[in-house]
Amino acid sequence: MDLKDIKAIIDLMRKNNLSEFELERQEYKIKLKRGGGGVHPVSEESGYYPLAAITPVPPPLPAPSSVAAAAPANTAAAGPASLEIESPMIGTFYRAPSPESQSYVEVGSEVNPETIVCLIEAMKVMNEIKAEVKGVVTHILVENAKPVEFGQPLFRIRPS
Amino acid sequence: MFEKVLIANRGEIAVRIIRACKEMNIRTVAVYSKVDMDSMHVQMADEAICIGPGPSNDSYLRIDRIICAAEIADVDAIHPGYGFLSENAHFADICENCNIRFIGPNSRAMNALEDKAASRTLAKKAGVQTPPGSEGAVENEQEALAVAKQIGYPVMIKAIAGGGGRGMRAAHNDGSLVKGYHTARSEAEKAFGKSGVYIEKFIENSHHIEFQIFGDSKGNFIHLGERDCSVQRRNQKLVEETPSPVLETKFKDLRKKMGKAAVRIAEVAHYTNAGTVEFLVDEEGRYYFLEVNKRIQVEHPITEEVTGLDLVKMQIAIAMGEPLRVKQGDVHFKGHAIECRINAEDPFDDFRPCPGRVAMYYAPGGRGARVDSHVYAGYSIPPNYDSMIGKLIAHGRDRREAMDIMSRALSEYMITGITTTIAFEQAILQDPNFRRGTYSTNFLEQLLGGARRELLEENA
Repeated sequence: MDLKDIKAIIDLMRKNNLSEFELERQEYKIKLKRGGGGVHPVSEESGYYPLAAITPVPPPLPAPSSVAAAAPANTAAAGPASLEIESPMIGTFYRAPSPESQSYVEVGSEVNPETIVCLIEAMKVMNEIKAEVKGVVTHILVENAKPVEFGQPLFRIRPS
Repeated sequence: MFEKVLIANRGEIAVRIIRACKEMNIRTVAVYSKVDMDSMHVQMADEAICIGPGPSNDSYLRIDRIICAAEIADVDAIHPGYGFLSENAHFADICENCNIRFIGPNSRAMNALEDKAASRTLAKKAGVQTPPGSEGAVENEQEALAVAKQIGYPVMIKAIAGGGGRGMRAAHNDGSLVKGYHTARSEAEKAFGKSGVYIEKFIENSHHIEFQIFGDSKGNFIHLGERDCSVQRRNQKLVEETPSPVLETKFKDLRKKMGKAAVRIAEVAHYTNAGTVEFLVDEEGRYYFLEVNKRIQVEHPITEEVTGLDLVKMQIAIAMGEPLRVKQGDVHFKGHAIECRINAEDPFDDFRPCPGRVAMYYAPGGRGARVDSHVYAGYSIPPNYDSMIGKLIAHGRDRREAMDIMSRALSEYMITGITTTIAFEQAILQDPNFRRGTYSTNFLEQLLGGARRELLEENA
């Protein structure tokens, strides 16, 4: 059996709307299957048009300063080679160790992996969040004392 | 009155709870894992908070993150759904300590029914028969053999901390008992964190019949009839119906007795909110208590259809401190309801799970067809959770009409892009034993071609 024969079989299958073909001879066995799994509609056309998928973008929290929802566009606008520090937990974001202290970082601050960039408070426990990257802070994406969710971008860093 | 409720769950039950809240004018907060970002419950809720990555251990089971989300969103109560943290007494306690109402049973009742051994003891106290078996955990294989000798084979080895049909295996002789005993213990340790197992008589050709109960904070109890869940594959329910065909025809006087027994158990446990008391009924019409499910159950819609009551709203009302508005004498049953669980599994490949992207989705409609599902066209089913993607419930004036509506609705249900159990359930609806209502818990295994799995494993 050569390629010409196989092409002829495929043609035959398409013309007659067959989904499976199996042929066994002494020297060889061939099995051809059309289409993906699942319930097959009447027409064997591949290439389904997905019906209107509901747009994602869930309302994260009542925190207008959070740009989590528009993340893809922002990452593009931020320019090449830009990293985001994402929140590893859910809680309240604080920029400084205490209300009277200075913020851990500002725009332009240099950070290395061990630099503490913020606190996230959860259930009365303060968690120090490390940068885990080396670079310069270009954007601070959350306002002080605002709630953040898991995975929410907190800072944008230009890595060095 | 609750102003805001957080739903600590996902999938179809989260959608169900959000619907009930909306109808009661309660604002809803969804929590979700990263892979559930496009899930329906996230879209429907008024607010949504991401609590972790895909794996449940890092998201839906994270008590700290859920409580944190509840505090940030300032909710009045949490509904835990089923599975996940719904029967976790520790979680219920933490909610109360944080001044958040837990929409479920009180922690005292949860502890009284905390595992299967405690539940058996409580049932005895309530004067309800349990399957003959060991008094509590079986400590070693000698004890196991002694118990089996006393009650006679076949027996079931069950994990004390198990539930939902998991952590059980049968043994038909001394050899398989010893082997099974040690395997069951290590499986239990891995799955539930506790290796304790107990032994019960294996009741052959049994019917799994459970009763829906409710208790309020004023000490009122009612039951809302039974659900027959004998159509199971590997102890996982697939098709449920009410009323139970075997109670309607063969054992007509059992409903009253079992309903009373179910309420009695709820009373002794000082139960509040929704619960389900599970029984096994043998071929002679003897009934045995199995366990109490301390949560709303997957198959609750069939009870809703025949009683006309909204069970989730009842849960919320009781959690708000309201007394039960319905007395036992007010409970009436109309017609017959059947539910088919729609799973993303390939029935022709040993029910292998088939997560993936749903290309086209058309759910059945029309009179008597209800669909509880979170799926839509374009939705990608994540691989991290169970494979149930929806429930189809048919309600007719009698069993015959309910079956006709179910068959019609199953044939209408169109889901492409993934493989589902719909075709298999159509076959079940056509099976003569199912249609006659003369099936028991070995029905599906027989339909699937023969010997019980345990016998196959033993002979291997």
